[in-house]
Amino acid sequence: MKYHAYNIIISIVLLILLIGCSPKLKWRFSKEIPLGEISPIGIVYEDDGFWLSDAERNRILKVNFDGVIQEEYKGFHRPMHISGDDSSKIYIPEFLIDNIKVISKGRVKNIVLLEKPDAPAAIDVENDLIAVADFYNHRIILQENDTITILGTEGHGNGKLYYPTDVEIKGSLIYVADAYNNRVQVFDKQGDFIRNIGEMDSINVASGIYVSNTHVYVTDFYGNRLLVYDFGGNLIQELNEHLNKPTDVIVSEQSLYITNYGGNTIVIYKR
Amino acid sequence: MKHIIYIIAILLFSITAAFAQQRQVNVRVDGLSCPFCAYGLEKKFIKIDGVENLKIDVDKGILTFTEKEGETVSEEDIRKAVKQAGFTPREITYTKQPIKDEKDRNTKR
Repeated sequence: MKYHAYNIIISIVLLILLIGCSPKLKWRFSKEIPLGEISPIGIVYEDDGFWLSDAERNRILKVNFDGVIQEEYKGFHRPMHISGDDSSKIYIPEFLIDNIKVISKGRVKNIVLLEKPDAPAAIDVENDLIAVADFYNHRIILQENDTITILGTEGHGNGKLYYPTDVEIKGSLIYVADAYNNRVQVFDKQGDFIRNIGEMDSINVASGIYVSNTHVYVTDFYGNRLLVYDFGGNLIQELNEHLNKPTDVIVSEQSLYITNYGGNTIVIYKR
Repeated sequence: MKHIIYIIAILLFSITAAFAQQRQVNVRVDGLSCPFCAYGLEKKFIKIDGVENLKIDVDKGILTFTEKEGETVSEEDIRKAVKQAGFTPREITYTKQPIKDEKDRNTKR
């Protein structure tokens, strides 16, 4: 009887371990989409393709899943990390002229910022809340209707930022690619520091982030890696196949898409 | 006599035009392969009076511009702009470029 119970316990433990290590939960390289002369920085996923920012040629592009250009908007001023919303609007920070624009139904319009950034590197929008990564001011600007909240100041300690390049609103929290502190920092919407992620993982410029319902994804620009963390900051997986100066990442269902600024490609992992 | 003066004047003008040159400034900076770094540097330089035809070679880490005709950009202003962008200038060199025609001169980055 004891021997039988012992076997059941061992089997349960082994089953739990097997599920935990299951290949189905791990990302694996799938394919690479060549983009020709597009040097991608930011990416937004849609059901029929991707929106990309090409700062080198000052344009925003819609490409299909083969990398073929479907739409092109020129005349931007170094567009960096872009963002999309549920109504198919694309928000574009213009790094060179401290401006935010939006593409909506084929038209390009300005968005008014009450607090002027110095080199906006990224934007995220959720309902009435706008978050802007203010690169040279080492801070995040939150604008909700007429209310401004500033997250971070220049520095290297907790709650300090050093050249932030990406920002993501997720629930009640704000996730920041704190690029030249080589980590991700998490704040609440009142500006209070919550936690650091990735500080001990030798990231060499945290260039882009994406936050899903379960994980935080960080592109390591000079390390040519993508790091996957849980919300506690534990490193779950490190991806490095076919990555060449990655700048941004997005996840849709069972696919993960990474922009390769150095290789002019989009790299796809699946699980 | 008048004809000779006119001819000399035309010759002098032609020679001057032939030798008219703008100075191209080449600034070597480490760490320009990151797009935020490269375009941040560009952002600081476009604010400097006298700078035109600004270009950045991300692969080589070199920023180049030409000085507007009749204007000089000081080395102090160059180093200050590089530092404001978060970098340390490694090397500043100068080359002469022939003054282009009006169409090319007004080309912007």
